[in-house]
Amino acid sequence: MPIHDLGYQTWEGRLVPEAGRWWVITQTGMRLAWRTRWVRRLMLVAWMPAIYLGAGFFAFEQMVAHPEIGRGIVGPLYAWSWQTGESAREMFLGNPSLARHDVWARLLLMFFRYPQGTLIVLLVGLIAPPLIAQDVRSRAFTLYFSRPLTRIEYIFGKLATLWAYVLLITTIPALLSYLLGVLLSPELNVVAHTWDLPLKIVAASAVLVIPTTTLALAISSLTTETRYASFAWFAVWAVGWVTYIVLSLTALDSGRTLDRKWTLVSLYHTLGIVQEWVFGLGPSPDFDQILPWAALLAAITVVSLVVLFRRVSAPMRM
Amino acid sequence: MYPDKIDFSNNQRHRNARVDTLLRLDGITKDYGRLRALDQVSLTIGPGVTGLLGPNGAGKTTLIKVLLGLVRITQGSGEVLGYRLEREARSIRGRVGYMPEDDCYIGGLIGVEMVRFAARLSGLPSLEALRRAHEILDFCGIEQERYREVDTYSTGMRQKLKFAQAIVHDPPFLILDEPTSGLDPEERQAMLGRIRVLAEKSGKSVLLSTHILPDVQSVCDTVVILAQGRVEVVDSLEVLSRPASPRFHVRVLGKADVLVQRIEREGIRVQQGQDGGLTLEGADASSAGRVWDWAREAEVAIREFTPARNSLEQIFLDAVKGETRADP
Repeated sequence: MPIHDLGYQTWEGRLVPEAGRWWVITQTGMRLAWRTRWVRRLMLVAWMPAIYLGAGFFAFEQMVAHPEIGRGIVGPLYAWSWQTGESAREMFLGNPSLARHDVWARLLLMFFRYPQGTLIVLLVGLIAPPLIAQDVRSRAFTLYFSRPLTRIEYIFGKLATLWAYVLLITTIPALLSYLLGVLLSPELNVVAHTWDLPLKIVAASAVLVIPTTTLALAISSLTTETRYASFAWFAVWAVGWVTYIVLSLTALDSGRTLDRKWTLVSLYHTLGIVQEWVFGLGPSPDFDQILPWAALLAAITVVSLVVLFRRVSAPMRM
Repeated sequence: MYPDKIDFSNNQRHRNARVDTLLRLDGITKDYGRLRALDQVSLTIGPGVTGLLGPNGAGKTTLIKVLLGLVRITQGSGEVLGYRLEREARSIRGRVGYMPEDDCYIGGLIGVEMVRFAARLSGLPSLEALRRAHEILDFCGIEQERYREVDTYSTGMRQKLKFAQAIVHDPPFLILDEPTSGLDPEERQAMLGRIRVLAEKSGKSVLLSTHILPDVQSVCDTVVILAQGRVEVVDSLEVLSRPASPRFHVRVLGKADVLVQRIEREGIRVQQGQDGGLTLEGADASSAGRVWDWAREAEVAIREFTPARNSLEQIFLDAVKGETRADP
């Protein structure tokens, strides 16, 4: 027998369990996305805010350990960025260790809302558009569905590609920063004060990731042109954000405050309201207070999933 | 759930199916809205290489989708490799290698990654999928091109890549849709050679859907002809090629008219072709031997004497016109 037989060889190995087939799609999607130079650059940039988050935890803990530094330097800095009013500021300046949970939660919310909120829009805008649009264009559905793979697994695999990247720049840095804050804290009771924050990080990540990624994939499935999907994705955010800002400014001009419910026009602000509630920083801990926003996010998710299933099934119906 | 091993020697159900029946369809009807794509298709195919023929819109692609469980059947039932179409589509797809007619690839992947991806979707472990992908690409004649992005492949290369994807997980049953389209003559012969190797040496069963009739004659044992969503012909190529009554083609050197008169005196009908060839209709094997005597008597030399066979093209045209109908 030749050393390198080019004839057909049979294969008798063991197959991997069916339950993990979606992971093949996820891995391939991640590898393909990583080949994009801008994704790599953005991932690098996306970890920088975590440094500030960790530094924030560390600075707060130093202030707790050394109140004279806190009152002199760090205290006013926190007080400046504090938005919940006088009572919290007084509590913070008077007895910082009691305000620890509130401060840490607020730092995490700021991390999710501002740097990561923007970076996610950019990152998903780079990764999601080709994920299904390219499969539609290159008729790859036939390749997928002639194998032992269901449509649910296909969609889950594609969603997991986005989840992986988004979690890499939100949940994981937030959890690592939390861990760093705990390790660098001079007080042992920091864990007792903040034990629920990792859970809230996970919940806030879910609030952020699920509706946005399903929406991005649904948009991708509606076209064969990646650029149209990219345009539609950024348009959804930009139009909502600009509309809300214009409405706010108009209200400000006429000397009144815009009703909170107007945030529903902006996906960015809607996410902010729900995340604020998740971190326990909303006006009230009652779920009823955020029901319209939560309902909107749920509706976006459900409609996006329906669109996804219909679009993915369509080529097979022909 | 099917056993997670591709070796079917311990799978009694599959082993039986392999011996007796590759696929069995019973009154399959498929409607797309008002359009009836398949109309009461009943069909039993055994192991071997089967050609699936039919004009455009005959329902070939729909039939393939039904076999893979990709579309819901309107009516009827069936089995592929012993697995029920309605309930065990996933098991079927795990055991079938499908090569679609259209290009289908994942943009951005290189050739070997593409085949590896297909192998992993079928359940091969990651590293083994890579090894197997290289092995199959060697078999399919894709050399250094395997390291190029599939987007840059020529039509012929994509055909070979699709074929590699279809066989990478070593399925016992292959469904090949126009495997030779877009290939140059040399590559076409190589592709048919690969199909022959898989069928003869590795015992694969193949359903070959094609418009190229010489391909069917070259590799198929059985032919199924679909027209307007119905099975018009299903039989072995050997039986179909045999004329209804024995016939022979004779080419002579000399006065053919004298020979024709002599043969007709024996009660055998002779048709004279435009090329001077004679077709003897109703001549059995015994009279065939006597043709040589009659030629000697007529003082003509026989240059060619061959039993006539039905051409696949004629069988196909007759079937499409509805002049034949499959036995129920």
